Amino acid sequence: MAIVVTAPAREWLHDKGGVATVRLSPRHGCCGGVADIAVAEARTPDEPKRYTRLELEGVTLYIDKTLVDQSLTVDIEGFLGLSHLFVEGVSPTRSKE
Amino acid sequence: MTAHQDTQAPSPTEGMGLFERFLSVWVALAIIAGVLLGQFAPAVPETLSRFEVAQVSIPVAILIWAMIFPMMAQIDFAAVLGVRRQPKGLVITTTVNWLIKPFTMFAIAWFFLMVLFRPFIPEELARQYLAGAILLGAAPCTAMVFVWSYLTRGDAAYTLVQVSLNDLIMLFAFAPIVVFLLGVSNIQVPWDTVALSVFLYIVIPLAAGYLTRRILIARNGIEWYDNIFMKRVGPITPIGLIITLVLLFAFQGDVILANPLHIVLIAIPLIIQTVLIFFIAYGWAKAWRVPHNVAAPGAMIGASNFFELAVAAAIALFGLQSGAALATVVGVLVEVPLMLALVRIANKTRHHFPTAEAPTTAEAKG
Repeated sequence: MAIVVTAPAREWLHDKGGVATVRLSPRHGCCGGVADIAVAEARTPDEPKRYTRLELEGVTLYIDKTLVDQSLTVDIEGFLGLSHLFVEGVSPTRSKE
Repeated sequence: MTAHQDTQAPSPTEGMGLFERFLSVWVALAIIAGVLLGQFAPAVPETLSRFEVAQVSIPVAILIWAMIFPMMAQIDFAAVLGVRRQPKGLVITTTVNWLIKPFTMFAIAWFFLMVLFRPFIPEELARQYLAGAILLGAAPCTAMVFVWSYLTRGDAAYTLVQVSLNDLIMLFAFAPIVVFLLGVSNIQVPWDTVALSVFLYIVIPLAAGYLTRRILIARNGIEWYDNIFMKRVGPITPIGLIITLVLLFAFQGDVILANPLHIVLIAIPLIIQTVLIFFIAYGWAKAWRVPHNVAAPGAMIGASNFFELAVAAAIALFGLQSGAALATVVGVLVEVPLMLALVRIANKTRHHFPTAEAPTTAEAKG
């Protein structure tokens, strides 16, 4: 696995408690069907045992176990002083119905 | 530098269950069931049509909310903060969805329904079908694009951004575009009726979805919301859709039985429009060297329609028995097989596009 947390994301996470969760969020289609979207959030997961825990330069990452063998990049984006954590690099072939 | 080089796409229907794969079949069955209901038990739709408040059918409003609310409840507006990350993709999708798609839909539907098919469709009915096509053209996909993006190995983070941005634009652009194009088509619809339908079927579900999301996440957490609440609420959309179609065709039975060929005639311009919009956005993305994982979902959102909104607006503006409502339903009928064909095209042409790259930085190896 190669989990990447960009420098701006690390700095931002340090201000938010230094913890991030990367997990799959299901999105339902209007004709039915479900696609799992990988999301990153600055919080501790509800059930940390279900995640793989990693430490990276002062940031604690909880990664969904189905994502740990993928090359992920955690970064921040935003404007007007508002920021939002996101994750890239998740192969959709790992998503589940 | 870490490059995302995985080139394997999911199988064309991997993210889809039995229901959505055969949506066209269920829609066809709903048409048959609705027509039979209207012919053999007309008291049912007649009774339901009596429950009206301010000319709004309460059973229909409930069904439409049931269709739209789950989609609104899963919109994460915080994703809009990512608008600067894939600017080329967003310029393409926003321009195509709002400055091109509604007008090509109008032009294509007008040419086919009002000119080419004139010998087959009475003018007044053709104008109604044109109104339905206009409503479809003004409503880009808002939920199913996640599935199309998944099937084309699209960038999920980008898909979230483009959906939230388009939903915000839709809030303000849908009504003016519809009123303008209906006016061009000599179909007069009072502004207050359009405003009421936008308020009922966009603003209310959007506000309800947003508040529900905020309140329930604050109370129970985002994981509970995604994995428990949305899992229960998400399937209500297609169920609401099918029941609405049964009810709609209970009113449309006579039209369908008198003009079964009309469904095919309506489908032709809708199919051409879908394919055209896909290739405009996809071709533009190729010309701008946009990565495939942005180009594919960017093209899919405009090609696919938010037909629940189109059906709702058609019913609100023209009634359940209208040709406009019928035209929007034909959009539902052709949606899934057509979009799956476009998914296959996108996956087979992936090699013509550049591959996305992740930013350079420190890595954690595990």
